Amino acid sequence: MQVLTWIANNIFGVPAFLIGIIVLVGLLLQKKTTSQTITGTFKAMIGFLIINAGAGIITGALNIFQPMWAEVFGLKAGSLGQFMGQTAFNLKFGSAVTLAMFLGFLINVLLARFTKFKYIYLTGHMMFWTTTIFAGIIVETVGASHVSLVKLVIFLSIFMGLYWTFQPALVQPFMRKVTGGNAIALGHTSAIVAILSALLGKVLGNKQNDSEKIKLPKGLEFLRDSNVITALTMGVLFLVGAIIITLKGTPGSHALIKQAAGQNFPMYSIIQSFTFAGGIAVVLLGVKMFIGEIVPAFNGIATKLVPGAVPALDCPVVFTFAPNAVILGFLGAFFGALIWLVVIGNTVSYVFVPTMIVLFFHGATAGVFGNSTGGVRGALIGGFVTSTVVAWGQYIMVHYLVSSTIPDTAMWAADCDMFILGPIVKALAHLLF
Amino acid sequence: MKILCVCGLGQGTSLILRMNVDNVLRQLGIQADVDNTDVSSASSERPDLIITSNELAESLSGHPSKIVIVNNYFDLNEIKEALESHFN
Repeated sequence: MQVLTWIANNIFGVPAFLIGIIVLVGLLLQKKTTSQTITGTFKAMIGFLIINAGAGIITGALNIFQPMWAEVFGLKAGSLGQFMGQTAFNLKFGSAVTLAMFLGFLINVLLARFTKFKYIYLTGHMMFWTTTIFAGIIVETVGASHVSLVKLVIFLSIFMGLYWTFQPALVQPFMRKVTGGNAIALGHTSAIVAILSALLGKVLGNKQNDSEKIKLPKGLEFLRDSNVITALTMGVLFLVGAIIITLKGTPGSHALIKQAAGQNFPMYSIIQSFTFAGGIAVVLLGVKMFIGEIVPAFNGIATKLVPGAVPALDCPVVFTFAPNAVILGFLGAFFGALIWLVVIGNTVSYVFVPTMIVLFFHGATAGVFGNSTGGVRGALIGGFVTSTVVAWGQYIMVHYLVSSTIPDTAMWAADCDMFILGPIVKALAHLLF
Repeated sequence: MKILCVCGLGQGTSLILRMNVDNVLRQLGIQADVDNTDVSSASSERPDLIITSNELAESLSGHPSKIVIVNNYFDLNEIKEALESHFN
């Protein structure tokens, strides 16, 4: 018994080991060579540990950004308060999240095998983030010291398995309009804004004026580079905030300026914005390394077990069907986000972090779906709707759903479907835990 | 030989492309080390071959590696044709 407890605590309870074991089994089942098996297992484990390192960098930069803009708006509660943070959360609940991802995927495969919903969700990084955020909501609701890990895994596996099967199914009627076929489905958390945009585009848009008929100015390609766009936008916001703080001269702003330790405050802020972008790049590298080993194994399982499976894929699959709508959707989301930053700061006293990765990928997807029913206007409206869901959703998520667990992650990685489903997860956690 | 599959964020789409490229290479009987990454990182890497979409290829113009364009990452036939015309 002692041996079993030791194994449970020190091997299965350590997320990096658990991931290593799952990947190892996956690679062995795929009959990879010895060197591929060892490399893949190690990469998955290193990748997971890299995520923790990057999360710390992001929190460091957010801890400057939040108080700074809180001071700009004259808000009282500037700092994020006490919370666990992604790194500590991973250490304690990372194994539960990993197991739930794996079991949730198996439920998805079983549903696809035995029902008429043949969708297999293959967007691994979103599987990780969605499960993580929902785990954060449950732990917040039930309490970190009270939550039963077994219940957590069971609930999340079932909930995620259902979500990964029915989210692509709900989007598919609209997806057919975009892709003109049934070969692929959308497996991404932008589903809710994709559907909303297609519906609003139909009512408010003008399908005759298709986005692909217009000419967009050249030189907008850089918008597709997420590192650059994140650093650029956060750089401008950090700089504007820093200049206002420097001019304000209140006691709060003096305390902030002190943090720069003698360095010019606006310059210090610019470096913070690049550090923020760097932190995200580090986290994404880590996610890529471990997801890159898991998804091919998942794919192997699904193609063996589910004849006629329809892969539900990451949102850029729709980008090639309307490249202009991608840019229009993002622009709509971007300007919407700036408006909401000011409105939310002045009304509900929350500093909205305009997370560029979410705004780009969700805004662009909404743009493509909006264009499919409502042309240029539909694409722009889709982008704006996205910014609305993201801005208000982030406020509700950070304040009411994950404030003591992982608000640091929710500020840049939580997105549309998570915002819409979040309150439901909280209600279910109240009922079932 | 090293092949790099590239998408905007280097997360989901380029991974699917990587799996499909692996699949096609097996059919063609070609041995290669295939990896996936984002467009930022790709510009500082030197693989033998980069596979990406038309839009992202513009961001990589002037890159010393040979760039093969595939617009539909899920169309095994398009990937096969693109790779065959490169290798022949």
